[in-house]
Amino acid sequence: MSEQLPKAKVAMHWLVAIGVFFLFVSSWWMLSLPLPSEDFTYRQLPFQLHKNVGITIMVMVVAMIAISIVKKRKKLQIQKSRIERLASLDHLLTYFLIIACCISGYLSSSFSGWETTLWWLVELPAWSEENDDLNIFFSDIHLWTCWALLSVVSVHIGAALYHAFRNDDVIDKMFRL
Amino acid sequence: MIFGVLLLANHSNELLKQVVIAPGSVAELGVPADCRADELEEEGLSLLECELMVSNVQITLVSSPEWFRPLMFLLSVSGVLFAALSISVGFSFVNNKNVNVNWAKSCFIALIVIDAVIFIVATNTGPLLRAQYLWSTLLWFFVHLFLLFAAVSISSKEIEDGA
Repeated sequence: MSEQLPKAKVAMHWLVAIGVFFLFVSSWWMLSLPLPSEDFTYRQLPFQLHKNVGITIMVMVVAMIAISIVKKRKKLQIQKSRIERLASLDHLLTYFLIIACCISGYLSSSFSGWETTLWWLVELPAWSEENDDLNIFFSDIHLWTCWALLSVVSVHIGAALYHAFRNDDVIDKMFRL
Repeated sequence: MIFGVLLLANHSNELLKQVVIAPGSVAELGVPADCRADELEEEGLSLLECELMVSNVQITLVSSPEWFRPLMFLLSVSGVLFAALSISVGFSFVNNKNVNVNWAKSCFIALIVIDAVIFIVATNTGPLLRAQYLWSTLLWFFVHLFLLFAAVSISSKEIEDGA
């Protein structure tokens, strides 16, 4: 039987999964809405929600990394097989890409001149005045890190299905609350 | 579980659509699209694409009968709830091996009914909305049908083993 994962980490894993897929599907739709102006405000709610969910996901991922670090310190270092090292790399890459997506999205929004109010409660700081070049730069990073994230998540789901069909206890760990 | 996560994202997005695209909004009033050159460059859009984005909203508004929005709102809220329930059913299967399979069956039946009603609702709108909804709804319908019959076969095997 493999080691039990902390319940908080399992719960956050699934909340992050729901959030990430919601962000993908809603972003494809919201970018087809009319460009914003004084008259056209269709993008206001979806964009604000997109930023709120994104920032919340980033906080959860940081918490998951912190939990992993604390757990790893307590654990004896054992030799990992090649496949286990690849799985660790996939996890690291997923965490890195989620954080990169969120930070680049926030910076792009910040340089576009749009304010970010976290869950309509906390006003987050804008990093500078409106700057089109930096907005486009961070927007491109946001776009490509998100595509990369989708690829890595596909590998992650593929690996999960591999363990599910083998019916081993690796997959069970992610369901135990 | 993965299907539950994807379905939850799908229904949440549908709910967002119904909230954002409301009748009587500016696209319906014939206000021309505001397509500034800097915005077009930023978004990588042509002028025509920018103008058609307003038409895209108009398509939804013009093709939606009066009953469509409240009904889709209700169906997507139900979809969100039952998708979340299907995830919790997945969890309970692993956490408690003696979980009542009837819970899973009821959940999948509810999701099938939601898919079927969305399909019927979309069928009764115009061709533009049918093109948006029918195929994806049909795919979800079959996914839920497979899952229901997986649950049915587990439960009948349990009965046979117990007999």
